[in-house]
Amino acid sequence: MSDNVKLTIDGKEVQVSEGTYIIDAAEAAGIHIPNLCYLKGMKAVGACRLCLVEVEGGKGPVIACNAKVKDGMVVSTNTERIQEARRFVIDLIVSMHPLDCMTCTKAGVCALQKYAYDLEVAESSFTRKQFGYEPDTANSFIKRDPEYCILCSKCVRVCKEQGTNVLEFMGRGVGAKVITADDKPLQESGCTFCGSCVDACPVNALLDADRWRKGREWEYENVKSACLLCGNGCDITVGTKDGKIQKISAGQAEGSAEKYICAYGRFGFDCIEAETRLTAPMKKVSGKLKETTWADALGIVAENLKKAGKDAGFISVAGIQNEDALALKALAKIVKTKNYDTTMSLYADAETLVNSQAADIDSADLIILAGLAPSQWERVLPQLDATVRRRAARGAKLVVINSSEARISEAATINLIGDEAASLKAVLKAAIGKGLKADKKLADAVKDATVTEEAEQAGEMFAGAASPVIFASPSLFDAAANLSLAKGSAVAVPAESNAKGVALMGLTTGGTTYKEMASGALKALYAVGEVPLSKRPKVDFLVVQNSHLTELAGQADVVLPSATFLESAGTMIDYLGRLKYLPKAIEPQGEAKAHKDIFIQLAKAMGGTIKKPTEAEVKKAAKVKAKTSLKPFEAKKGFDVSPGEIIESVNASVISGSRLIMLKEMAAATAGK
Amino acid sequence: MAKETSIRVCMGPGGIASGGEEVLRAFGRELKKSNVKAALKKGCSMHHVGCMGLCARDVLVEVVLNGKTYTYQYVTPDMVSTIVSKHVVGGKPIKEWLVDDSYVNFIKKQTKVVLSDCGRINPESLDAYIAVGGYEATRSVLKSKTPEDTIEIIKESGLRGRGGAGFPTGRKWEFCRAVESDRKYIICNADEGDPGAFMDRALLEGNPHAVLEGMIIGAYAIGADSGYVYIRAEYPLAVERLRLALKHAKKKKLLGRNILGSGFNFDIKIKLGAGAFVCGESTALMYSIEGKRGMPRITPPRSTEAGLWGKPTVLNNVETLANIPYIIRNGANWFASFGKGKSKGTKVFALTGKIKNSGLIEVPMGISLRKIVYDIGGGIEEDKKLKAVQTGGPSGGCIPASMIDINVDYESLAKVGSIVGSGGMIVLDEDDCMVNVAKYFLQFTQSESCGKCVPCRVGTKRLLEIMERITSGRGKTSDLALLEKLGNDVKSASLCGLGQAAPNPILSTIKYFREEYEVHIAGRCPSKVCKELLTYSIIEELCKGCCACLRACSSGAITGEKKKPHRIDQSLCVKCGACFEVCKFKSVDRE
Repeated sequence: MSDNVKLTIDGKEVQVSEGTYIIDAAEAAGIHIPNLCYLKGMKAVGACRLCLVEVEGGKGPVIACNAKVKDGMVVSTNTERIQEARRFVIDLIVSMHPLDCMTCTKAGVCALQKYAYDLEVAESSFTRKQFGYEPDTANSFIKRDPEYCILCSKCVRVCKEQGTNVLEFMGRGVGAKVITADDKPLQESGCTFCGSCVDACPVNALLDADRWRKGREWEYENVKSACLLCGNGCDITVGTKDGKIQKISAGQAEGSAEKYICAYGRFGFDCIEAETRLTAPMKKVSGKLKETTWADALGIVAENLKKAGKDAGFISVAGIQNEDALALKALAKIVKTKNYDTTMSLYADAETLVNSQAADIDSADLIILAGLAPSQWERVLPQLDATVRRRAARGAKLVVINSSEARISEAATINLIGDEAASLKAVLKAAIGKGLKADKKLADAVKDATVTEEAEQAGEMFAGAASPVIFASPSLFDAAANLSLAKGSAVAVPAESNAKGVALMGLTTGGTTYKEMASGALKALYAVGEVPLSKRPKVDFLVVQNSHLTELAGQADVVLPSATFLESAGTMIDYLGRLKYLPKAIEPQGEAKAHKDIFIQLAKAMGGTIKKPTEAEVKKAAKVKAKTSLKPFEAKKGFDVSPGEIIESVNASVISGSRLIMLKEMAAATAGK
Repeated sequence: MAKETSIRVCMGPGGIASGGEEVLRAFGRELKKSNVKAALKKGCSMHHVGCMGLCARDVLVEVVLNGKTYTYQYVTPDMVSTIVSKHVVGGKPIKEWLVDDSYVNFIKKQTKVVLSDCGRINPESLDAYIAVGGYEATRSVLKSKTPEDTIEIIKESGLRGRGGAGFPTGRKWEFCRAVESDRKYIICNADEGDPGAFMDRALLEGNPHAVLEGMIIGAYAIGADSGYVYIRAEYPLAVERLRLALKHAKKKKLLGRNILGSGFNFDIKIKLGAGAFVCGESTALMYSIEGKRGMPRITPPRSTEAGLWGKPTVLNNVETLANIPYIIRNGANWFASFGKGKSKGTKVFALTGKIKNSGLIEVPMGISLRKIVYDIGGGIEEDKKLKAVQTGGPSGGCIPASMIDINVDYESLAKVGSIVGSGGMIVLDEDDCMVNVAKYFLQFTQSESCGKCVPCRVGTKRLLEIMERITSGRGKTSDLALLEKLGNDVKSASLCGLGQAAPNPILSTIKYFREEYEVHIAGRCPSKVCKELLTYSIIEELCKGCCACLRACSSGAITGEKKKPHRIDQSLCVKCGACFEVCKFKSVDRE
């Protein structure tokens, strides 16, 4: 859309596209229009009445969140009259709001406080009242205190739009209150503790449960990073103070349907200081692991790797950083082995991920899910689940193609149940029948498909869509990519965060595969990260390099303590092909080191040299162009590990070593009922 | 064909409340008696009808004999056998039980359009409606008029929304017609929620088919294939009659597929509301039908573009829709011949309060308020002094007695700070406290606010607190200015009509009865209504020492010996007024 509408806001000329709301046009021009209930990207509700502006020639003030720009419009956002109206609103809200800003955790980032300050409302001119509500503090994640609630409805709308749907209003007038069903505590409400509501709350009504006296936000250093716990690789904002992480929040762009992180990403960070956290290298001394020095540990490893040579192998999770992958490859070269592989190989082949295409979810008008069952509730690619639901709520059509019904099916416009590859084929055939342009080869390839009524409808949608996006499980990617030959883009969604990065960095075996290595095909095995292995394979020498002492680490000959992704600077490439930077938010615990640093030092101990991988190297490796060509409409075999299994196992220490363990307890309690 | 002799028993809300069912049963019993049967060779039809209007005199019974109609008032079951034997059989009306001249005036001075069949026909009979021309309009529209023609007629008639806002109905239809959509809806708003208003209820109970017919014609005009009647569950009889009417209409192919062979499809569903006042607001009403919480939303888009389930929707009030068949049958000019200026046609009002003839009335728009109060209403009860007329319910305002000659139409009422509204009209006399009246209405809107927007949610609460302060003797001189400022702020900043109109009762009473507020703030309620502002004392010269007040006092505030003047301890008095009520010698003073 071109910026074809010219208007003046507070004397400033602004040019925006047609259909833009005044509030966004002003923001684009650097003019903030006060508001408490506007959520970018969502339909305005006009509840706070704060964003009133005056439009020249208009009857009276209009709310900027629901008034679209017009060519030649002259808008004043801060006249005396408008200020008076805003002061009235803030005055009323303050009359029902605690004034304990001195100790309030949200001080400094509280929107109400900001506007009261701007409008000089020190005290309400009305008799101040309190609701007398009790806070909900029964869980370790979110503290809900309705006493502070200003009923802006942001939490309710965010929760509803992303499909979690546990919050709603109850009561009338001044007695209206945001509640869960039956006003039960959050853990009994079906809440997934994603914390989207916490991010949305402009005041102190919804807060991370552990924030009391952990510092005000202005004291925090906020860094943009990404979460490496699952295939969604969400953007996060990490708030640190005194060298500790105090808070993690969703870091995606305001207004994007992608703005969501799950409980793992938001609340799992206390695993950094878990009891099982490894803070020093260890070696096995008479059957027991004992702490030792880095020099000693690296010496033992170097010696054994040298000894094993091409009989040594590396297995890693795919949630490591690109730089780690490059360093690991370099190390393998020094060891003189081609045996290096990652957990990615359990669910995808490198070619698929390399060829997986880029896509802009926010402009997708049709989303097709093929062979994917993302779920916020089971935390299986939860962000994909929330994002797809939000896009659907914002008007995009959703087609879910699955072998059986999944929870995401409830949000679908059309569900195609059965063989996924055959369904994809049928949809393409139907779309071509509805006038979708496709070359002869492609048209011929789908000729023999059986088109059901649902597939017919889905095909019509595909033919009519402007920018469809197909998300597929890696094994169905080829079939899905066939559709993208005619229109739109196809994306393979892996289970782990940097699977695509690892594939692009070339950390795929030239010799023994992950599965073979994991079942003891070699003499020496070097495991990086929390690989899904609980029993030591039959190997002569086992190194485990991980942040936490896992079951496997307990059986290792040497254990090397690694930094978590929050303690190590590097990059990753998410499933949509976006290169994301992960700064070092905090120093590693104890003597733990970043994977790549361990590899570099190990190389040194072996007499070799690895140069620290640079951004340029990563970018160069990532510069492989995705290629799409017509492939058979069938699922690739051999990748039957489900994303749920992978995500659970590679994060086992994060979950059991943090408050996230409560999620399991809550789930068990609910199941028991 | 109706038989020559017929009996109609009013079973409107007032009729039923006064025992209409028992009266109807009594007539049934009497008419079955063999001697009566024998005497009435041609038989006698008997049925119940909807509201006849003058609810204050219910149960009203009409006896039609030899072409003449006689109306009995205050009928009870024990009067029935006499009416049957002397009048129905004997042919001699019982004069002392018949209505008097004031009733005749009450009826004669009205102009009945939308109520013309209400109170005359059996509301549970489709044939009865058809016999008075019912569904002729549907037939003629479907047969010979395009939707555009139909809209043109409604536009020409000048019909405006009778639910309160007065938006031209034809234009609303036209907007909706112009929107392209695979689906459109028409909704009848029967969520009548104003305290004291019962126009829609009476219409639905008295002539449900007229409303359905209005919907069918509206649906045809805008191109809707389905409709809803959103009606409050507190109107069980209206719901029952509506259900019956729907059943009958479907059976006769007046609803459903291919209506009257025209190829037009339309069906209506009933949706019960749970009695939230805010659900009368169009967008909240639609959310409620969708099963969501009834909260208004901001516009644009208007409902005519994106209403129910996001589809173009026309929402019309019961009375608006019931007018449609009469307009189509009699022509736009006929309808426009009633009324004044931009307010055409007639309007139904629920005339209540301190008025002699309280009930349901229909008058041409633009009639003077004086005519309503004195000619039709028969004047003030006990011939007391008129103080004001409250119109438009909780969203309306008070018109002072000095403005009694005002014309009752949309523009004139708006000019003086009130509204026509849905048609509530409450007459207030010298004993009514205007501050208390305003507080009452505010209490209503405040507790019915949905809580979505700040000005209404918190603002009405703060307004109410100030009103409570004033009526309990804690008012400050600055309160009046604060009320006005706060009232105007709530009005201009609220999201929907509920909040935008909530301060009206306060603002209009301040405008016309400012002095009364000032006296309250000074600590007195001149009408002696606001309890906490009253002081009870015993006039020693008049007190006989009978001890009646002492016994009546529950708080032990009264002391005194027999046959000696008593005293009230003000610090103990809870101002319940029991002593005042019980004293036979008028020795208790209330000030």
